Amino acid sequence: MNFPTVEFPWFGNGNIVAIIAIIHVLISHGVAIGATALVVSSEYYAIVTKNEKLDQLAKQLTKWILIITTTVGAMTGVGIWFSTTVIQPDSIGSLLRIFFWAWVAEWVVFVLEVVFLLIYYYTWETWKEGKAKRKHLNVGIMLAVFSWLTMSIITGILAAKLTPGRWVETLSFWNAFFNPTYLPSLGFRTFLSIMLAIALFTIFVRLFVKDEEVRMPLLRIFSIWGAISLPATVVLGIWYLQSIPDQAAKLIVWSTGLPEKTFDVLNMIAFALIIVFLFWLAIRPKKLPIFLSLAVFMSAIGFIGEFEVVRESIRKPYIIYNYMYVNGITAVKAEEMNRDGYLAHSTVAKIKKVTEKNKVEAGREIYQGQCLACHTIDGWRSKRALANRLKGWPQQSIESFIPTMHQVRPMMPPFVGTKEEVEALAAYLYKVANEEK
Amino acid sequence: MGVLQLSIPPDFPLPIPGNLTLLQFLIVLTFVLHIIFVNFTLSFATGAVILEASAMKTHSRRLDDMARICSLHASIHKSIAVVLGVAPLLIISVIYTQYFYTSTLLIGKAWLSLIILLITAFLLLYVYKFSWEKWENKKGLHFLVGFAAMLILLFVPLIFIVNVVSMLYPEKWSGANGFFHSLLHYPQIWQRYAHFILASLATGGFYMYLYFSVKQRKQTLSDVEQSLKLGGVKVAFWITLLQLVFGSLLLISFDRNIMLLFMGDDALLTALLLLSVFLTILLCALLYVVSKNDRPSMFYASLLCFVLIVGVMGWMRHEVRESYLKPYINEYPRTIEMKKENIKPVNKQ
Ligand code: HEC
Ligand code: HEM
Repeated sequence: MNFPTVEFPWFGNGNIVAIIAIIHVLISHGVAIGATALVVSSEYYAIVTKNEKLDQLAKQLTKWILIITTTVGAMTGVGIWFSTTVIQPDSIGSLLRIFFWAWVAEWVVFVLEVVFLLIYYYTWETWKEGKAKRKHLNVGIMLAVFSWLTMSIITGILAAKLTPGRWVETLSFWNAFFNPTYLPSLGFRTFLSIMLAIALFTIFVRLFVKDEEVRMPLLRIFSIWGAISLPATVVLGIWYLQSIPDQAAKLIVWSTGLPEKTFDVLNMIAFALIIVFLFWLAIRPKKLPIFLSLAVFMSAIGFIGEFEVVRESIRKPYIIYNYMYVNGITAVKAEEMNRDGYLAHSTVAKIKKVTEKNKVEAGREIYQGQCLACHTIDGWRSKRALANRLKGWPQQSIESFIPTMHQVRPMMPPFVGTKEEVEALAAYLYKVANEEK
Repeated sequence: MGVLQLSIPPDFPLPIPGNLTLLQFLIVLTFVLHIIFVNFTLSFATGAVILEASAMKTHSRRLDDMARICSLHASIHKSIAVVLGVAPLLIISVIYTQYFYTSTLLIGKAWLSLIILLITAFLLLYVYKFSWEKWENKKGLHFLVGFAAMLILLFVPLIFIVNVVSMLYPEKWSGANGFFHSLLHYPQIWQRYAHFILASLATGGFYMYLYFSVKQRKQTLSDVEQSLKLGGVKVAFWITLLQLVFGSLLLISFDRNIMLLFMGDDALLTALLLLSVFLTILLCALLYVVSKNDRPSMFYASLLCFVLIVGVMGWMRHEVRESYLKPYINEYPRTIEMKKENIKPVNKQ
């Protein structure tokens, strides 16, 4: 605990990051990458078929891409970073040190992406004929390429958190970046983005684009992209699953919080739905049911939520696999802390040494440092609320549970600190679990 | 939060990933780029709202058109301001980790609120811009949208300023209690705010002069555009004059030993300060000439002068931070070298 802690007692600290990340993935993948590919394809198709109305629709869609990505998209992207800084400073700080130059490259690409987007939208009416229109389309293609490039860089960093591979031994940047899940997850995300864009945008096209001269070609473009992307997503998704560590793979179903049966059934239904939807889109686009489009829209959001939650959860107890635990503790620190005490090595702890008098207060500080990243005391997520989980436990049992917690529940990091600190934490937890509210 | 002693944490065991001087150069460069676009955004949003208000009051078509052009520029530049802000954030997190992370966490909830605040402000700016014609008959509502965006944009800088100021005062951390308390707890904050807001207005005015001067080379300007151009020059001139006062106020708000570095104790810093004052007066003179008699040669002279001022300001600002932090960094050094024994993997039992 080297930085001041910020606590969201009801919502839970981990959930803050999760909610921002889910919104960001929806927008970055679905809108910035996927929808851009669809829109640029539409512009191209409009030029080839001289369909002026389709061209205007592409412009209209670009306006929405612009509005969404430069507000919610950009700010949730920066927001993931803001929130991890507030909630897991050790982790994000370390990642920045490892991947600094990748992030610099990402930034350069990102700046260009925004500039391309601004040019693409604001020159739509001025670069209209002949050569100028070609130039405009080229800007669109560059935009699509650069939005994909931002993903291809950030994916290296994200994948390394789960599978840093040889980095933990070599500490080489390139080993960390081109880690074992880099390629499968990048491929998976690429086609997932396009599927997501189709799923998110079809309902709006179905509801608001009345003119068949535009709607039909647009849905046709969607269905062609869908026919390529769905199989690719599935194949690459399987490869991705195969390449994650066993310990993590075992946590997938658990991390959704669903019983195994329910998990299987829900995912099968969603998959069947998307297949029916794609066939319908290809064969009878004129009669595409609103209900079906809506169901696909909702399942897509659900799937992204699931994907993000799973991706974050299966990494437990680590934040950087085999290097740093979720609470910021590394092997080297754990050694020192087990020797001299957790609090003694915590810059911001007010208490450095546990005494009989300050026990409960010391326990609270230890809780904030080691448990807060995943737990609350009370709070809506009752499985993670310790007052709820520990109701009825005698203080003695809590005390003997703590040193073994990483064995009983492998998604928890081991406790670090001295015997007195275990007692202090137990005293604090016992107190909050038995307080009348 | 609250009662920390002098709580500067040890630096991370992972080393700083690059040459420190290079990173310091980059942080000054990218920060300056960021802040210029922030200046544009803020001044055009404010300018649009003020112009629209006067247009409504006087039923002037011309003022309304001027306001609309401002709003267009505001929403374009805000996108660039945000992406450019990421680079200095990246660098400050890496080279001032121990200070910047602590100062961020001390105002953690305000820092997170930036996400909501900026999303809201940016969406409002789009509504403001894209509904200008559609809401011709709902002027009151339209104005309110712009006004709300402006208020948020005027508030947001305080969060950033509290953060970058509080990182300079580790011995005041223990007395700080959240964002609003920090506004009065740390010195410099309001002086910096005033300096920044004035700089924004002046930069925005200057941009209008540059933008329409360039446009003028290809086509004659409309009446509205001409007014924006000359109005911009006037705003830039008067505000920059005022800045001589507010800049001095900022200087005297520094700790005495730091202030004196700029007043003779350090030759380089003193020279920089003198240079910046000289350049500022020169820019005012150039702008004055432009406002009387616009000549193309003035364009390059004033642009050069402006770029130099901003560069010198950015550099001095960096030196202020370095001077404040120097004693602490000596005591709690950064990790420069990779020491493998400090970065071991977890051994599985
Ligand atoms: C990496 C995240 C993480 C951290 C850090 C963490 N836990 Fe947990 N903990 C979990 C998860 C996940 C569960 C299981 C929740 C469930 O049953 O779904 C859990 C369950 C528990 C339980 C209930 C065990 C049972 O068998 O009923 C207790 C008690 C507990 N944690 C205490 C702690 C304490 C004390 C700390 C701090 C020293 C801590 N945890 C730190 C993730 C974490
Ligand atoms: C999310 C996007 C943004 C990011 C990532 C960002 C990043 C940063 C960073 C890292 C700094 C500190 C640089 C340094 O000290 O070297 C900074 C300073 C600042 N930013 Fe931004 N910024 C963003 C948006 C904004 C916006 C929208 C505004 C204003 C409306 C703004 C106003 C400021 C101000 C006033 C300062 C401090 C100037 C001073 O020190 O006096 N920023 N920003």
